[in-house]
Amino acid sequence: MPDLSPIYHIVAQLLPFECLQAGFMQQAMVGLILLAPMAAAMGVQVVNFRMSFFSDAISHSAFAGVALGLIFSINPHWTMPVFGLLVGLGIMAVQHKTTLSSDTIIGVFFSAVIAFGLAVVSRDRSVARDMQRFLYGDILTISNNDIIWLIALFIAFMIFQALSYNRLLYIGLNSTLAKAHSIRVATYQYYFAGLLALIVMFSVWAVGVLLVTALLIVPAAAARNFARSAGSMFWWSLIISITSAIAGLIISAQDWATTATGATIILVACFWFIISVIASFIRRDSIR
Amino acid sequence: MNKPDLMQKSADTAVSFEKVTVERGGILILDSVSAIVPIGGCTAIIGPNGAGKTTMLLTLLGEVPYKGFIHATCNINGGCSKIGYVPQRFAFDRGIPVTVAEFLAMGIQKRPLWFGISNKIKKRSLEYLASVKSEHLAERKIGALSGGEMQRVLLALALQQEPDLLVLDEPASGVDFQGEYIFCELLDGLRREKGFTQLMVSHDLATVTHHATHVICLNHKVAAQGPPRQALTNETLTAIFGMHMGMVDSRSMPGGSATCSGPCCNKDQNA
Repeated sequence: MPDLSPIYHIVAQLLPFECLQAGFMQQAMVGLILLAPMAAAMGVQVVNFRMSFFSDAISHSAFAGVALGLIFSINPHWTMPVFGLLVGLGIMAVQHKTTLSSDTIIGVFFSAVIAFGLAVVSRDRSVARDMQRFLYGDILTISNNDIIWLIALFIAFMIFQALSYNRLLYIGLNSTLAKAHSIRVATYQYYFAGLLALIVMFSVWAVGVLLVTALLIVPAAAARNFARSAGSMFWWSLIISITSAIAGLIISAQDWATTATGATIILVACFWFIISVIASFIRRDSIR
Repeated sequence: MNKPDLMQKSADTAVSFEKVTVERGGILILDSVSAIVPIGGCTAIIGPNGAGKTTMLLTLLGEVPYKGFIHATCNINGGCSKIGYVPQRFAFDRGIPVTVAEFLAMGIQKRPLWFGISNKIKKRSLEYLASVKSEHLAERKIGALSGGEMQRVLLALALQQEPDLLVLDEPASGVDFQGEYIFCELLDGLRREKGFTQLMVSHDLATVTHHATHVICLNHKVAAQGPPRQALTNETLTAIFGMHMGMVDSRSMPGGSATCSGPCCNKDQNA
């Protein structure tokens, strides 16, 4: 495994906070700086596609993913993303093959994965205690290995976004029009759903099942209020998510705060959102 | 398969529908529809609401499963790869911050929009906007466009495909009468200049009689088709609209700008 300690060292140098001198904090910071922009950029498209319920369903399949790992005694770090990926592609496939509304399809998948996860967890008391980690997130225990996987995912994400940002915008605006103008809509949708499922599963570690959708939606929603073009919406979303992640981690480690990291990150992002709403009101007034 | 009359037709036919049937929830939306779209002309599909007009366009675009055959041969290679589509109601999220220039670039530019629009693409988009008399809209957000402006931008987007076949769904809806008249004049000019085949859906007889060169009268089945003058008889109109709809309506539109000069508006129709 490659040695990532130089990267951790740089983080500690760039952000000279006392709390960032501990190794696990440096790892958490690197993990968040990789994860936050991915969630934010995918969030722009989740908002355009109105897919927040989809990402919610994926995040809730984390329980079932972990449960599967326990049944077959495979490391849950493997079963969770793989299961999330399958659920995501499964929802997409059913949406393409039937005329049911996407809300209904996602609702059925959502219930199925939660029920399955709970059924397995309820058999074993000791596992139930462990589940708290997934509800609230546990970025501070992220391992060197996890970060290497995150880097790989980040590279895949960058390539995907560079190739498909424009076309995804087209599909998000009106898929019939995009298809008529020879954009391969279904292909883009499958790739998007697959990548989103993986990023959601990694985000579960950072902020927990309950707040994953917030990590996707809140920076993108704030970016919409700030941005004047589709290009700048992407950058705003990145800036908001990265600053929220850094500030959230540092604040949560302060003696006066000692809050859950995931929740603190989302609170900072929500603070950004409030500013963005005020900014958009002021701008609208100045136009009048 | 290769009936002799069909082979003969294909030379001047852009699209031919052969016994196209669409069924949804046990209801026949299109019932064995056979129709042709002549090459280079302006074909209008007319009929009342719920007659299957939009469905017929969507079968052509591959959005709706159907039984039967659709042959599209609108370019010299015998295919129809380049279709431009202008939807009826462009339902989109008005809060999305996308400028008109970005809207036109998103389908053709490879470089992601977060690195800006390349000069080449920008110049091209402005040319297309100019061809629909809307170059002043380039920096406007698409959510802030009026119905008529949006329609012209959508037309520019469709023209950007350099289509062999331009498909328009109810180009008149959501625009006032004057705007519609200007839009149709614009389309006539562009069609002559670029030589594409135009296929549109309309329930507005005035538009049809003025601009169409070929009409398909549809009410789940094809009631009649041909040049407007021959197709739009009182019998046909009564059959598809279910009541007596004389051609008089098309000449009594407000503003006086609708003087019907189309070939179908001549007398003897109400005989």
